[in-house]
Amino acid sequence: MLNLLQTTVSKPSGAIGLGLTVLHVLIALLAPVIAPYDPTMQNADAILLAPNAEHWMGTDSLGRDVFSRVVHGGRLAISVTFAAAVIATLWGGFAGIFFGAVGGRVDEYSMRIVDAFLSMPWLLFLLLIISIGGAGPATIIPTLGFFYGVAILRVVRGAAMQVATRDYVTAARARGENIWPIISREMFPNLSDILLVEGAMRWSWMLLAFSSLSFLGFGATPPTPDWGLMVAQQRSLISTAPWAVFWPCFALSTLIIGINLLADAIGKALGLDRATAIAV
Amino acid sequence: MNKSLLLSAAIAVASSAVSAETLRIPHELGYGGSESIDPISPQRFYEAIQNVYSRLVRQGDDGRPSADLALSWEATPDAKEWTFKLRDGVTFHNGNSFTAEDVAFSLMRTQSPTIDSPTKGVMEIIDRVEVVDPLTAKVVLKQTHADFPLLVMDYRIKMLDAETCGGDLDALCESGIGTGPFELVDYDPLGTTTLKRFENYYDGLAGVENMELIAIADQDARVAALQAGQIDFIYALSAEQVPLFANNANFEVQSVPTGRWVGMVMNTQEAPFDDPRVRKAIRMTADREALGKLVYGKDGFIASCDHPVWSGDQYRAEIDCAQDIEGAKALLAAAGYADGLQVELFVSDISEGAVKMAEVLQNQAKDAGIEIELVLAPSDGYWGDVWMKQPFFATGWSQRPADQILNEAYRSSAAWNETAWNSRDFDAGLDAARAELDFDKRKALYGALQTELWENGGSFIPVHLNTVRAFSSKLKGIDPVEDFSLRLENVTKAGSES
Repeated sequence: MLNLLQTTVSKPSGAIGLGLTVLHVLIALLAPVIAPYDPTMQNADAILLAPNAEHWMGTDSLGRDVFSRVVHGGRLAISVTFAAAVIATLWGGFAGIFFGAVGGRVDEYSMRIVDAFLSMPWLLFLLLIISIGGAGPATIIPTLGFFYGVAILRVVRGAAMQVATRDYVTAARARGENIWPIISREMFPNLSDILLVEGAMRWSWMLLAFSSLSFLGFGATPPTPDWGLMVAQQRSLISTAPWAVFWPCFALSTLIIGINLLADAIGKALGLDRATAIAV
Repeated sequence: MNKSLLLSAAIAVASSAVSAETLRIPHELGYGGSESIDPISPQRFYEAIQNVYSRLVRQGDDGRPSADLALSWEATPDAKEWTFKLRDGVTFHNGNSFTAEDVAFSLMRTQSPTIDSPTKGVMEIIDRVEVVDPLTAKVVLKQTHADFPLLVMDYRIKMLDAETCGGDLDALCESGIGTGPFELVDYDPLGTTTLKRFENYYDGLAGVENMELIAIADQDARVAALQAGQIDFIYALSAEQVPLFANNANFEVQSVPTGRWVGMVMNTQEAPFDDPRVRKAIRMTADREALGKLVYGKDGFIASCDHPVWSGDQYRAEIDCAQDIEGAKALLAAAGYADGLQVELFVSDISEGAVKMAEVLQNQAKDAGIEIELVLAPSDGYWGDVWMKQPFFATGWSQRPADQILNEAYRSSAAWNETAWNSRDFDAGLDAARAELDFDKRKALYGALQTELWENGGSFIPVHLNTVRAFSSKLKGIDPVEDFSLRLENVTKAGSES
């Protein structure tokens, strides 16, 4: 693990990625300590103040401190999407390995269903499900976990098909072992790298998806400080009070870039080239 | 090459000439495209009916009735019979003459149970309309109404052609035939509805040749469209949007005090709002001055105390409604919510500041232990899907005279009785006020009704708004009057004056 970390940060992109990701996670964890103001505190005498000594990133249209809201703004998104990424990686990874190991008609038919899911306009389906189930984390986490798990399934299944032809798997089959020991002992350890990288990548995509949902009014609800919601609520100010829109965009972008760089660096440190090695 | 250049130039000049004579107005798509051109339909197409039809009387600059299709009116001493003398020589867009028969038809159909017009509750005061002669109509009321002309000044009480509508009092009339300054050319509420000026309009030709009503549901999109020159006018800007146009020579910004309001509605028949103590507790948590400043800017509002009568109305009651958190807590405790109250508030970007107002109320109410969870609903179709269908929701109303708004929104039989306010005493109070011929006594009666709404009603009306509209500086003739008095037929666009 230490070797992996050292290899990951040995290149600038990996170091930047890790730094940005860790920084955002720390800020989210320590937000109540870092933020100088209550992020929901409104002030009728401090509406749309430009950045100044008291409000480093200015104030929004309800007189709330933008810095405090940006600092708190990642907490919900990071926690919701991290939970969803774990779910997606677990079920998508397991199902991908299973179908890759089993092969045959079960795999063939299942992949057509997966193809059907992948061809769907996912945002519309997300909106449909959230419209029915409500906009809370209880709906959003499993929904994101399911949809992004399908994509992980597809990628992992492709890699599992290659692993399934390796000698040690063939030997296990020859020994008469059934499918579960083969998956858990022979295939999973050799696919965990891909799962790690895929999970990290999907996490960053889920962050974007969650912020999109918040922007559309289906994610976080007021007065929750959330980057997507902040952009949605203040977007009409982009030419008159750009600080109210810029900082949440900046925070979201840096986190997504950080996770992407980190995932790429981890992949390369593990000897995986995401563009070719695990492409299906 | 020269020929093609000349051709291009000619096309450009021709295009700009056509464009210059077309006034482009956004249509807010509040009913999701199911708007009706019938002015008394519950889903009336506001922007179209304002320009296609005329009223019997219109709102003058002072807010009082002034002549439109009726030149004069007078009442019997008991104010139960009102005689309207009509303008001679007025024709509908199809060439038919406007007569007292059309007045009788247009007024009596407002009471139709099948149309179920939002004007029904108010206009049910009419017993019958007698055609004295082609240019004289006598309206006989069921009860005295000292201010009856104020009722027919309503923006939906338009005069329709009885013949074109088949004389059927119980059917919507979608002909789009009126006597207004513009006639309907192409009806497309989901896209662009096109009007052209009516050559025989009784008050002269409109200032522009054509009008386009362009469906744009989102306020930000409307602002962007105005900035990009795709439309010429926006009815109302939010406080944050004003700076986008205020210092730009291409646009003009006009601020007009009005009786418009955006507010929150508690259904008085549904728990927990069926308890008047809960309703009043929520209202008492509001600091109205702070709320107004946060949502509409310091010059954008006049504080109100949860009754709908605005400060410019002769019947407005002055009530003290200072924020009282401890009083709210005591009321909640008495109502059985000593440990706090949790409610859902459905809100949407339907009117300027609605979501922000909900956020401010949410913030102020939490000091009294009231936890308001905001549920964001799409603005597209909000009036059909959410409004009056949830226990606690956002609303928005245009200016109306005291008698009209109190009857339209709070009479128990009113179609738009959004608080489900069901009080026989209140209904009797409305009748008594209408019947009172002495102004001071009438004012006292209307004042008592407003006090009753503050004490027990289901509305949260923290402020009345100034309308801040923006329009292209190419437009001339937009008077600084509230929307219902606005006469777009007087508007000219640079290049269109002849």
